[in-house]
Amino acid sequence: MFGWKGKILRIDLTRGNCSVEDLPYDLMRDYIGGRGAGAKILFDEIDPRIDPLGPDNKLIFATGPLTGSGVPSGGRFVAISKSPLTGAIANPNSGGYFGVNLKYAGYDILIIEGKSPEPVYISIFNDQVEIKPAGHLWGKWATETENTIRAETGGNGDAWGKDIMSVALIGPAGENLVKFASIMSDGGRALGRSGLGAVMGSKNLKSIVVKGSREVRVAHVEDFKKAVTDFLKEATENGQISQRAMWGTWILIGRAQKSRTLSTLNFKQTYFEEFIEYEDPAVIRDRIWVRDEGCFSCPFSCSKRSRVSDPAYPETAKGPEYETLALLGANCGIGDLYEICKANCLCNELGMDTITAGATISCAMEFFEKGYLTEKEIGYRLNFGNAEDTLELLKKTALRQDFGDLLAEGGYSVAGNYGHPELFMGVKKQGMPAWHPQGRSPGLETIGLQYATSNIGACHTKSVMPFHAKSSEIKPLVQWTKHYQDHVAVVDTGVLCWIIYHGPMWEDRLGPWLQLVTGIEYTQEELLLIGERIWNLERLFNLGAGLSAKDDSLPQRMLTEAPPEGRVVNLAQMLDEYYRIRGWDEKGIPKSKKLDQLGLIKEGTKVI
Amino acid sequence: MRIKIDHTRCTGCKLCEVACSLHHTESANPWRSRIRVFVSEEFCVPVIAGPYTEAACNSKGIVFVEGREVDECIVCRASCPAKSVFKEPDTAIPLKCDFCGEPPDPQCVRWCAADALSLVGE
Repeated sequence: MFGWKGKILRIDLTRGNCSVEDLPYDLMRDYIGGRGAGAKILFDEIDPRIDPLGPDNKLIFATGPLTGSGVPSGGRFVAISKSPLTGAIANPNSGGYFGVNLKYAGYDILIIEGKSPEPVYISIFNDQVEIKPAGHLWGKWATETENTIRAETGGNGDAWGKDIMSVALIGPAGENLVKFASIMSDGGRALGRSGLGAVMGSKNLKSIVVKGSREVRVAHVEDFKKAVTDFLKEATENGQISQRAMWGTWILIGRAQKSRTLSTLNFKQTYFEEFIEYEDPAVIRDRIWVRDEGCFSCPFSCSKRSRVSDPAYPETAKGPEYETLALLGANCGIGDLYEICKANCLCNELGMDTITAGATISCAMEFFEKGYLTEKEIGYRLNFGNAEDTLELLKKTALRQDFGDLLAEGGYSVAGNYGHPELFMGVKKQGMPAWHPQGRSPGLETIGLQYATSNIGACHTKSVMPFHAKSSEIKPLVQWTKHYQDHVAVVDTGVLCWIIYHGPMWEDRLGPWLQLVTGIEYTQEELLLIGERIWNLERLFNLGAGLSAKDDSLPQRMLTEAPPEGRVVNLAQMLDEYYRIRGWDEKGIPKSKKLDQLGLIKEGTKVI
Repeated sequence: MRIKIDHTRCTGCKLCEVACSLHHTESANPWRSRIRVFVSEEFCVPVIAGPYTEAACNSKGIVFVEGREVDECIVCRASCPAKSVFKEPDTAIPLKCDFCGEPPDPQCVRWCAADALSLVGE
């Protein structure tokens, strides 16, 4: 088989055994791999109403047919599960090397089920799969955990033996079931959103280490080699590689500030005065940059490693990305780059999503400033801009100490517990990312529609921000939202990086890459239909889990209070149009005609 | 003619490993590549497989990369019994760079968009 390995590895932690299954043909045909295949397996194998932190939940790691083939920016993987934060489906994806190593070990998909009676980690080397005790790793921070595991499983014990593997793990936050705990891998890569670190923690699974020496076969080798070198040449000549490698996501601070879309002070503002100097990404690079870190087979290397200038922390950390700078910085009123780097490093080490962590702290800050929460309750005078105590609270959150125990439930619970749910800036209980929906220009409010309708709760990576849209009218932008939701869903099956593969330059490349690697031809229409199928299946899972149209919402602030230079979001009008073009009824339920078109009648019957 | 390595430009994307294995084995598999990239937090080092040596060395030397002490094994080009790379995974037959034939046209250099690898000399 070309592209796919054709195998699923299933590990049952309750019984402590594993099995290998063939990847079903229908699954490859209808969902390709990655996010799509993961959604289908989750939908088929679990009742969407189960407790996400109970033994019945499953944690699926999915690669796609392009993973490991060498397609530029095609080294990603997806984790799929039911989220403990939102109760909805979760599908964070990540770069680095973990997914590629899983593929080279011989598996397209890894399914983890059940619950181990005691802390363990899983070691996978081709067909040698072991479940090992992890009591000595419990409570350890990410870097120490990773180094210990590399030393324990490093083959010959030589330096290379420790290097040629990939370690995914949870930090103390995942162990303590923090609702927004992340799964970290390869020294700081994050499966950040929706709290899947807590799912790993609930299964007593500290880590998964994987290496593999098997091949990924490519259908048309010579044509493929030419296509890759042509692509690299094009991306070099048009400046994409040098731009992204130089500035990474730091360049987005300037864009957000200028368009007034930077989440600031718990989304009260769209612009942060203290970030003016960072509108020039060279300032950030000068101060903290250590090196560019390419994901596997990605020439763009947008991710950066940075120095943490405090002896109490590890010397370097991955990030902070734009989102982290915004959420743990501007949104908390913190303008000191070095303090943000510490917060970022803490989230990496403790294993927490920097976006929801920032959204949760900023929510508590607004409660403190409004007097809804006191110093006695929090333990600190938590004004906006209080970096020092933010760092303390992040630690306490991961360990569930004192007020951190409530923060660990997420901003939604903080706001609800203290009587002002409207002050939590999130959707489906998940904090909003950095792009503020109340930007200066008309049309930017469709960012709000993207957050409201995202299947995983507020997220910036499930459609494409409308900055380069040709129109600022609502109707075409609702269409844009839907189009890119479907497009990103199918790009996530490859698993390609949607950041590279959207927009006029390379949006249509998934099909040609699939053809070269797998030998199977897909038209653009077929691919978008698969994307739409995935989007609707995820929606069905959520409906089955008890979510409904009322969860396609935005915080009250977005709908009624216009920030300086901003506008209110007319969500109701956009939602009507959105449901209509989605082929859903007014309650946001897919109509049978749509389900029939997508081949989802059987799935629809299960939950509607 | 040789391949010049500028490790300060390497990002650790490992496209070179894919290029090499595709050329020599018609499939993507870094374990069968004649070039491997060592990835650490602060730097990456691409290393090209040199001749096989039957005995592992006892020197356990230390070298400095970017001011960091690293195991000499990382920058050593030899394929040896103690090393986890530069061997066919199933047979342990040693691997060695052949510059992708005559005239030399190393695929790793072609695929390196970061310009960490270049072909120099006559």
